Amino acid sequence: MSGIWYYIFTLVFFLFDYFILAMGLNIQYGETGILNFAYIGFVAIGAYVTGAFSLPNSVGTGQQYILGLSLPFPLGLILGGLAACLFAVIVALISLRRLRTDYLAMVLISLSLVLYDVCNNYVPLFNGADGLYNVPEPFAGVLHLTTNSFIPFFAGVTGAIAVVMWLVMGRVTRSPLGRTLRAIRDDDVVAAALGKDVFRNQLKSMLIGSFYAGIGGGLIMEFSGSFNPTAWLPGETFVVFAVIIVGGVGNNIGMLMGSLVVETLLVHLPAFLPDIPGHPGLIEYFDAVIIGVLLMVMLWFRPQGIVPERLRRAATFGVRDDLGAEANLPPDELSALAPSPVVQPGTLQARSATNE
Amino acid sequence: MPALLAENVTAGYGHSPIINDITLSAELNSVTTIIGPNGAGKSTFAKTLVGILRPTSGRIVVNDVDITRMAGHLIPRHGLVYVPQNDNVFKRLTVRENLEVGGFASRANTAARMEEILDIFTDLQKAVEKKAGFLSGGQQNLLAIARALMVDPSVIMLDEPTAGLSPAYTDVVWSQIARIAKLNTAVLVVEQNVERALKHSDEVHIFVAGRNHVHGAADEIAGLDLASIFLGRSHAS
Ligand SMILES: Nc1ncnc2c1ncn2[C@@H]1O[C@H](COP(=O)(O)OP(=O)(O)O)[C@@H](O)[C@H]1O
Ligand SMILES: [Mg+2]
Repeated sequence: MSGIWYYIFTLVFFLFDYFILAMGLNIQYGETGILNFAYIGFVAIGAYVTGAFSLPNSVGTGQQYILGLSLPFPLGLILGGLAACLFAVIVALISLRRLRTDYLAMVLISLSLVLYDVCNNYVPLFNGADGLYNVPEPFAGVLHLTTNSFIPFFAGVTGAIAVVMWLVMGRVTRSPLGRTLRAIRDDDVVAAALGKDVFRNQLKSMLIGSFYAGIGGGLIMEFSGSFNPTAWLPGETFVVFAVIIVGGVGNNIGMLMGSLVVETLLVHLPAFLPDIPGHPGLIEYFDAVIIGVLLMVMLWFRPQGIVPERLRRAATFGVRDDLGAEANLPPDELSALAPSPVVQPGTLQARSATNE
Repeated sequence: MPALLAENVTAGYGHSPIINDITLSAELNSVTTIIGPNGAGKSTFAKTLVGILRPTSGRIVVNDVDITRMAGHLIPRHGLVYVPQNDNVFKRLTVRENLEVGGFASRANTAARMEEILDIFTDLQKAVEKKAGFLSGGQQNLLAIARALMVDPSVIMLDEPTAGLSPAYTDVVWSQIARIAKLNTAVLVVEQNVERALKHSDEVHIFVAGRNHVHGAADEIAGLDLASIFLGRSHAS
């Protein structure tokens, strides 16, 4: 297989993998309003645990790690997802019950740094700074895949997994649970006053999102065969945030668009460009700048993202409300008022007063 | 036994209490209104009833069940539901979804109940698929009340449901309140407009500086010198 296909299928893999990662962060942040600034930590746990379950016993491998059970695909992957869920339970019990969004975000970012330091420095866990490597390629033996044919094969497997996870997530977000999560995002006090157990629902959201994070991480491990701390610097969390903000917070198909624009086109495509002579690594740094600028531009000009949360006709003021009824405005004047997202009570009174 | 009974309730945000020793009850099929100057502790009392704040002493009983130390989200199940003063709808959810969040019985029950409620709140009927954030202030308040009714409460606590509304819309909200009370519900309302409170309520309580200063039937209260009561003077008239 020629080199170009190798690149293309690597991009396809990351497109689908970040689609999965973005859906996981989206249910936590986009649907529930939990600012999980430790998200990449959950991805890393999924990756490490998947790798450690798939690798053989560490004796004689030249690496140090726990587990080492040579589990076949997809067992290691699923356990990676579940390990991320377990971490979510611990995180939720420590922080979610007591803290509000901004404080929670601060605690989570610290937690992600602690996790990073532990994995980076405590070698017996996941081989420290060297990370895990030589993780067996799933099915490579059974299907007689070469290193080259494995890449398109596994990009396809990841695509299939992503589609299944997308269908499942669609069901979740359309279910009463999804509605409750969005209600909590909008106002947790009111949700509780209507009988919703806020902590329990936030925990569910954390668990679902963390499973997606763990699977996305495990797939990276299976795809590239290695994973080490340089792959999950705490700042990587913000790449996933960029994916969901660019794609459109609260919308699952937007996650695929965000992954295409941010992860595929901005993060991975430039990595295949030749280095600028005399400036190794410059392109990658420039990348971070471009993502930052893109994020600001999106938040300024199109905060709803490429694909907005819900494409509903109703939001375009097809219906008369009491504003029109009271002030007796003709329909065109009514629509002129439409862009203001929330009609404040004060405005209402002012308008009816001038029209009386 | 009244539907809601608060006895000697003391509560606050930090160490010193904001409301002191408040006793108040609300009966089915009647409107009980709390009036009083700004900062008197009306909202604090409402939040204490529904478990957002914890009373340091006293007890709260709904339909014979003591809910004083109950987790906030369990309280609606016992029949008490609360509509906060401001920002009381889920702005990014549609009107329909807002109502659905209120219904925690079976799906079929929710649909049937929503139909009944939309029959009362005809204004909302026309806007069911609209995002709640796009409604006017008055409609948002009506939606919050309608959503609270989805829970099928026996006691509904409304904190200033007419704040910031035009006089015309204030009448709409009050006529709905009267209607709700007739559905075998105890309605407890915080209202800053004294005149309207006296006109529409059965019982009136006047809170001044964190205490339930004066209370009685609306027509008795109407005969008092409210200005001096609000200023904290004795209510001997
Ligand atoms: N979240 C809060 N934290 C601390 N103090 C508060 C808080 N909310 C209200 N207060 C104080 O409690 C007192 C009563 O307020 P509130 O119950 O809102 O009055 P009302 O609803 O009667 O206007 C006021 O002095 C107010 O400053
Ligand atoms: Mg108040």
